[in-house]
Amino acid sequence: MTGFVDLYSENDTFLHRLDPRVKILSVLLLSLLAFVLSTLYSLVVLLAFIFLLLFLSRASLSRTWFALRFVLRFMTLIVILWPIFDSAGTPVWATLGPIKITEPAVWRGFTSAARVGCLACVWYILMFTTSQRDLVRALVRMGLRFDYGLTIAISLRFFPSFMATIYSIIDAQRARGLEFNRGGLIKRSRKYVAVLVPAVVSALRTADSLSLALQSRAYGAKARRTYLRQLKMRRSDFAALAIVTALFVVPFVAKYVFFVHI
Amino acid sequence: MKALKMCEVTARYRGADRDSLSRVSFEIEKGEMVLLLGARGAGKSTLCMLANGLIPHAIPCTLEGSIETFGRDISSLPVAEHSTKVGIVFQEPENQLFCMSVEEEVAFGPENLAVDREEISERVEWALEIVGLKGYNDRPPSSLSGGQKQRLAIAASLSMRPEMLVLDEPAYALDPIGRLELYSLLTDLKRRHGLTVLIAGRDAEEAATCVDRVALMSAGRMVRTGTPAEILAAPEPLRSIGVPPLQVSELIEALGKKAKRFEYGAITVDALAGQIGEALGEAGTDR
Ligand SMILES: Nc1ncnc2c1ncn2[C@@H]1O[C@H](COP(=O)(O)OP(=O)(O)OP(=O)(O)O)[C@@H](O)[C@H]1O
Ligand SMILES: [Mg+2]
Repeated sequence: MTGFVDLYSENDTFLHRLDPRVKILSVLLLSLLAFVLSTLYSLVVLLAFIFLLLFLSRASLSRTWFALRFVLRFMTLIVILWPIFDSAGTPVWATLGPIKITEPAVWRGFTSAARVGCLACVWYILMFTTSQRDLVRALVRMGLRFDYGLTIAISLRFFPSFMATIYSIIDAQRARGLEFNRGGLIKRSRKYVAVLVPAVVSALRTADSLSLALQSRAYGAKARRTYLRQLKMRRSDFAALAIVTALFVVPFVAKYVFFVHI
Repeated sequence: MKALKMCEVTARYRGADRDSLSRVSFEIEKGEMVLLLGARGAGKSTLCMLANGLIPHAIPCTLEGSIETFGRDISSLPVAEHSTKVGIVFQEPENQLFCMSVEEEVAFGPENLAVDREEISERVEWALEIVGLKGYNDRPPSSLSGGQKQRLAIAASLSMRPEMLVLDEPAYALDPIGRLELYSLLTDLKRRHGLTVLIAGRDAEEAATCVDRVALMSAGRMVRTGTPAEILAAPEPLRSIGVPPLQVSELIEALGKKAKRFEYGAITVDALAGQIGEALGEAGTDR
């Protein structure tokens, strides 16, 4: 359950050590790059590069597989469906009733799948190597208002215990004889009300005591607060940012200034 | 100057049909450790939140009478100002920890108060050391045990350098060992750091031996205040307002029914053991 929200695993690779702001910027740049590139070859090269990084993040295999499974399924789906809905171009490879499968469409399917793969995996790298705490911290340092950052952090923190509450309420209601998988749709949804109402009440109560806790810890006391941990860009952070920027700018200029087809 | 001075305080929550505190007068000296004892609904939490300014600043409540903490009227100061004087720790450790690491949790208060970075760092180490969580800086609070969470909540309050710590039923969710650790920590805070401590609780079992004074509350009124022995020795007055008597006095009660030799007075096992020993000695010489 927590694995669903938090893909981070602790480790000590250069990707883990990188300043989270650099990681966020890099991921944004590489995502944009996936849109700049338009040939299958260049996208495959980018995908290979991203896979290399993913490999270097040394996330456990089971976790990587858990994450990649969805992406691979989605990519397969694109490859299969694309030529069915896109019939532009020649030569035509096959005709099945009204459906025309053309060679360029098949390649376009692969291209799009590669692009989706790049987009998904590059974000996975960020999630694998950056703790939620660093992510929130970086967002705040990049200009997100502290209250929003705190809200995100609190939601992430309380999501698992909210789910745990729901499950324990389901168990309690079951113990009282409520059968959840009986009856029609309406009957069933009515049973779930018996779960949702106590869950929401308990969430509200939590929110109430949280707000007291926040206030008693001087939340909002000063217009400008200080921070114990500051993010500091080191030489390696600047280097990484420079490399990723170059990776983005060179193809961008090549494509839009020199009209190279990449 | 008193740490807390309440004079004829009556409090009623907005929308409530009766007073939660009625004409309560109560004082705490600086450096004193006081147990606020009362059954459910006696008004302990209300008094705790008044001492910290959460009432009326965060929870709407009509107030009569006057409340001062360290010589300053609570209604004149916002809660944030109060928190630097009076820290509060609630019953449920879970809902007062909201950061992603132990260190951030402790740093949260001083950060809000815009304390310097070096100073925050010192305070964090200091507070974690006191509560016995040194070296836990990067652990997520959710990975701690119940007792550790409660001590983390105390550290998070201590880092704001309050002069008084108010704890609302801090032992409620703890096992017996957790309780003993908690009370030894609180005693330490009082003795070594001169902190004024107010503990609210529904029973006096562990607190009896370490507090200076007990304040007994029932149905929004302050019944009596006095030394632990004065308030806790006799079981009947406690029972009549729904507070469980000490196990020691229950034992004396049971012994008294058989032998009529024992009188209420001992509140510790040691003291009672002394009395029993004497009685046995006398019984020996009788023969
Ligand atoms: N927010 C509120 N609104 C209205 N009435 C309240 C509110 N909070 C508490 N009360 C009432 O005020 C009275 C005193 O409550 P308080 O919480 O101070 O008691 P307590 O001694 O802390 O009890 P417990 O041991 O259950 O924590 C109770 O009768 C309670 O129902
Ligand atoms: Mg209470």
